[in-house]
Amino acid sequence: MLRDFLWLCGRYLALALSVVLVNFFLPRLLPGDPLDFSSGDGLDAAVPLTASARAELEAYYHLDDPILSQLWSYLGDLVTGDLGFSISRSAPVGDLILDRLPWTMSLLLVSLLLSAAIGTALGMVAGWRPGKRRDRVLMSASGMLAAIPEFLIAIGLLLGGAVGLAWFPLFGGETVFTDWGGGPSSFVRRAFDIAWHLTLPAATLALAGVAAFALVTRDVTAGLQHEPWLVAARAKGLDERQIAVRHALPNMAPPLVTFFGLRLGGVLSGALVVERVFSIPGLGQLGFQAIGARDYPVLQALFLLSSLGVLLVAFLVELSYPRLDPGRRSDR
Amino acid sequence: MRRRPLLFWLGTALLAGFVSIAILAPVLAPHDPRQPLALPLSAPTRDHLLGTNDLGQDILSQLIHGTRSTLIVALSVTAISTALSWIVGLAAGFIRRLEGLLMGLTDLLLALPDLPLILLVLTLIGATRINLILVLGLLSWPAFARVVRAIVIGARISPYVEASRSLGASDAHITMRHLLPATLDALPTKLVLTMRYAVFAEATLAFLGLGAGEAIGWGGMLNEAFRDPLLFSRPAWPWLVLPPTIAIAALILATVWVGGGLGGGPTTRRGTTQRGNSGRQMVISRGD
Repeated sequence: MLRDFLWLCGRYLALALSVVLVNFFLPRLLPGDPLDFSSGDGLDAAVPLTASARAELEAYYHLDDPILSQLWSYLGDLVTGDLGFSISRSAPVGDLILDRLPWTMSLLLVSLLLSAAIGTALGMVAGWRPGKRRDRVLMSASGMLAAIPEFLIAIGLLLGGAVGLAWFPLFGGETVFTDWGGGPSSFVRRAFDIAWHLTLPAATLALAGVAAFALVTRDVTAGLQHEPWLVAARAKGLDERQIAVRHALPNMAPPLVTFFGLRLGGVLSGALVVERVFSIPGLGQLGFQAIGARDYPVLQALFLLSSLGVLLVAFLVELSYPRLDPGRRSDR
Repeated sequence: MRRRPLLFWLGTALLAGFVSIAILAPVLAPHDPRQPLALPLSAPTRDHLLGTNDLGQDILSQLIHGTRSTLIVALSVTAISTALSWIVGLAAGFIRRLEGLLMGLTDLLLALPDLPLILLVLTLIGATRINLILVLGLLSWPAFARVVRAIVIGARISPYVEASRSLGASDAHITMRHLLPATLDALPTKLVLTMRYAVFAEATLAFLGLGAGEAIGWGGMLNEAFRDPLLFSRPAWPWLVLPPTIAIAALILATVWVGGGLGGGPTTRRGTTQRGNSGRQMVISRGD
C-alpha cells in the first residue's frame, strides 16, 4: 500500500521534473535567440526592446552564466513563484496569469461538469443496447461533434446565439464601462452579467466535451452488458433504470473518472482557442496576444502551469482509484 | 468485400474532391489569391463568386489555394507521424532494453496538454510551413506507438514467431517478415486519424495566428476575419466567415466518415477491438 503510494508519487514527480526541464531547455536548444528577435535587430521585431528592458531580461535569464548555474537560478525562481517578466506588457508574468486565471478556470469547471453529466447519461443510453438504432444515431453524431475543432463550434454558436438571435453578447467577459451601483444587489447583477457573457463559450466547450464523454461511456456501458452481476440483477426482475443507476454506474466510475482527468488537457486547449472567438479576458486571450508580440516568458509560463496542472489532476485521479472501484473496495 | 456504410463513400468522394481541388488549384482559382482586385468587403458578384475580403482579395481563390496548403500540411504530418509511430512501436515492442525509455517518452508526451507546448515551440522557432509540419509530426506519434507496441508484444510470443526463431531467423528478419505485417491492420485507421488531427491542429493554430508561414489557409482566413472588431456589423461578414468554416468542417467530417467505414469508428457494435479502442482514444483527446 505505502509502496504503491511512494511509487506513484515518484512517477509523477519525475514527470513534473521533466516538464520543468523541457521548459528550461526548449528556448536554449531550439534555433533562434528570442532576445535578438525581439530587440529590433531583425526587421520583423514585434516589440522593439529598449536597452534597459533588454538588460532586465538578460539579468532574469542569467544568459551569460554557464548553463548549470542558469538552471539552478531558474529552479530557484520557480520555487519562489517568479515566472519571469512579460516582454510586451512590462509586468511580472505571475501577476498577469493570476489576473486571468478566474475566467479560464470558471469556463473549465462549468463545461467539464456539464459535459461529464450529460455525456455520461447519453453514453449510457446509447450503450445500454449496443448496436440498436439509438446507439448508432447517438454515436455517429458524437463522433462527428468530437472531431470538429472547438473554434468552429464556437463560431457556430456565436453566429446562432449572438449574431442571428442576438440573445447573447458578441464578445467580452462582462459589460465594460458600467456603473453597477453599490450594495449587495450590484454584486448579483454583475454576476448575472458575467454568466450571460460566459454562456456561449461554456456551451461550446460543453458540447465538445459531451461528445467525448458520450463516446467513452458508451463503450464502457456496452462492455458491461454481459457481466454476470448485471445478468443476475436483470434475472431478479429489477427495473432497468435501477440497474443502470444503482449497479452499472458505480462499476463504471474508475474508467470514467480516469477519463475526466485525461480530458482536462483537451478542455484546456479548447478553452484557450474559444476565448479568442468570444474575446474572454482569460489565459487564452493572454496567450493569443503573447503569440502576436512574441512574448516568450508568457507562453513558457502558460505551458509550464497548464502541464503541471494536468499532471496534478492525473495524480489525484490515480490516487482516488482504489477507493472508486467497488471490487477492490470490498477486498479490504 | 464487406458492405460499407453510405457515409463512408460520401467521405471518400469528399476527400477525393478536396485532393483534386488541391492539385488543380492554380487552374481552378479564378484570380490570384493575393492580389487586391476589387473593392474590399464586397458581396458576391459574377466576377467574385464569394465576394472579397478586407483587402479586396478574391475569397473563392483563397479558399481553393487554402485547400492545397491544408492538404500539404496534413499529408506531410501524417507521413512523419506514422513512420515515427511504427519505428518507436516496433523498437519498444521488440528491443527490451529500449522499452522503458521509449514508453516513458510516450507517456510524457501523452500526458502534456499539446496546444500550449505547440504554441511555445512555434513562437520560438517561427511558424513556417516546415516548422509546423515538423512540430505536429513529432508530437502526434505516441498514441499509435502504444498500439503498435501492444500488437508486437502479442505477436512476439505467438507460435509462428517462435517457430521462425527456432529455425534460426535473425531479429531483423523476424521484425520485417512477421512483426511488421501483424501491425499493418492498424495502418488505415492511423492514417485517417492523423490526417484529421493535422487538419484540426493546422486550422486551430492558424486561427491563433500561427499559420503555415506565408501560405494562404482556411484557419488563417478566419484569423484575418476575426481580427476586425466590427466584423459582425459589416454586411459582408457571412462571406468572410462561412466559406472557410464550412471547408474545414467538411474536410474533417470526410475523415470521420471514412474512418467510421474502416471498422474502428463509432458504428462498431462493441468497442472492444484493438483498432476501435485506439481510434476512439485519439478522437476523444481531440487531437492526439
